[in-house]
Amino acid sequence: MQSSKAATERRQRFDQYVGVYHQDMYRYAAWLSRDKAIAEDVVQESLLRAWKSLDSLREESSAKQWLLTIVRRENARYFERKRLETVDIDNLTASQAALLAEQPNEELDDMRQAIYELDDDYREPLVLQVLMGYSTNEIAEQMELKQGAVLTRLHRARAKLKEQMARQ
Amino acid sequence: MNCDEYRVAIAADPSFDGGAGHLTECAACQSYRAEMQALDQTISRALSLDVPALQMPELPEVSELSAVEADNVIALRKRSWSSPTWSPQIWLATAATVVVAALLGVRLIGTAIEHESLADEIIAHLDHEPFALRVTDVAVTDERLRSVVPADVAEVQRNIGLITYAQSCIINGHDVPHLVIQGERGPITILLMPEEMLGEPQPLMGESIDGVILPVGNGSIAIIGEKEEALEKFEQQILKTVMWTT
Repeated sequence: MQSSKAATERRQRFDQYVGVYHQDMYRYAAWLSRDKAIAEDVVQESLLRAWKSLDSLREESSAKQWLLTIVRRENARYFERKRLETVDIDNLTASQAALLAEQPNEELDDMRQAIYELDDDYREPLVLQVLMGYSTNEIAEQMELKQGAVLTRLHRARAKLKEQMARQ
Repeated sequence: MNCDEYRVAIAADPSFDGGAGHLTECAACQSYRAEMQALDQTISRALSLDVPALQMPELPEVSELSAVEADNVIALRKRSWSSPTWSPQIWLATAATVVVAALLGVRLIGTAIEHESLADEIIAHLDHEPFALRVTDVAVTDERLRSVVPADVAEVQRNIGLITYAQSCIINGHDVPHLVIQGERGPITILLMPEEMLGEPQPLMGESIDGVILPVGNGSIAIIGEKEEALEKFEQQILKTVMWTT
């Protein structure tokens, strides 16, 4: 009876985190992998990992960062397993192309393509800052970088996007 | 703060609220700030993809979870900060860093994370270099191997296996030769740690990997492979073909 109650509480805790952070997990996975179908796979695997490891999360305030760390690792594992090659922007699969054609808005389409073409090193900190609301300190911890390196990458990412958008 | 410093700061974070003194006097930077904030709004909208409905995977019962699985993900350290601090000194230092990096083309990459144990750090390191674990039949050159494993650190014989990756890495503050050989089930990582003395072997367990840190003389060697890999055979082979020269 006692263990059943504990199991129920564990599941409720898990569902609560998933309810709050599922969207962030998916968007992070989508921009890391640049592929909607892969993002869904990565999120599924991440949820399973998170469920199995839930007891290692001791601070609720770290839940978002903990889940995004799992997504980051699952994405890396996915690409290890699949040995995917570099994506050619002119030769995308339907699932990759779907990421770029999300809404019929020319400016957003252009921006999405510019973000898509950014190097991973620049795209990831930008997603963490703009979409996830991470501070540069938090990005540095997530990406295992120094804060100066994060600021450099963010500065360069925006400079590249600005230049790219000016060309459109 | 001058225009260059302010613009570096605002481009790294358009919500940057420092440099008020400069901003009130500089119309060009006011305009630049507005431009970067508008750019960020577009970035934010572009990044906000529609999210498909949640498909919850089938979750195992709690009673089915093993202790090993429960420990699979290393718990995050408690954050040591509460909010970002943007003092003028930090921004000046940052701006200087960015400018120098831009001029020199230097990528500033470091390892700011502290790990609770050597095993934690090794597993985190492997996560950080997934590209090392390629299945390939192309061996690193002798020159590359010599540069990563200096003669005054260790001697590695080629019959250790097909060495397909060699990189000098920092583990626990020391330069460590990081090698990968091809096993039967996938790549096998070998970390030569002449400065990490251990009393006894330590197991390494990750989500899809198994390994061990073996005490060898005054140092140790970490050997990590896929869970399905029969590592014992490779452990013997590695111990026979690596010799400390320190």
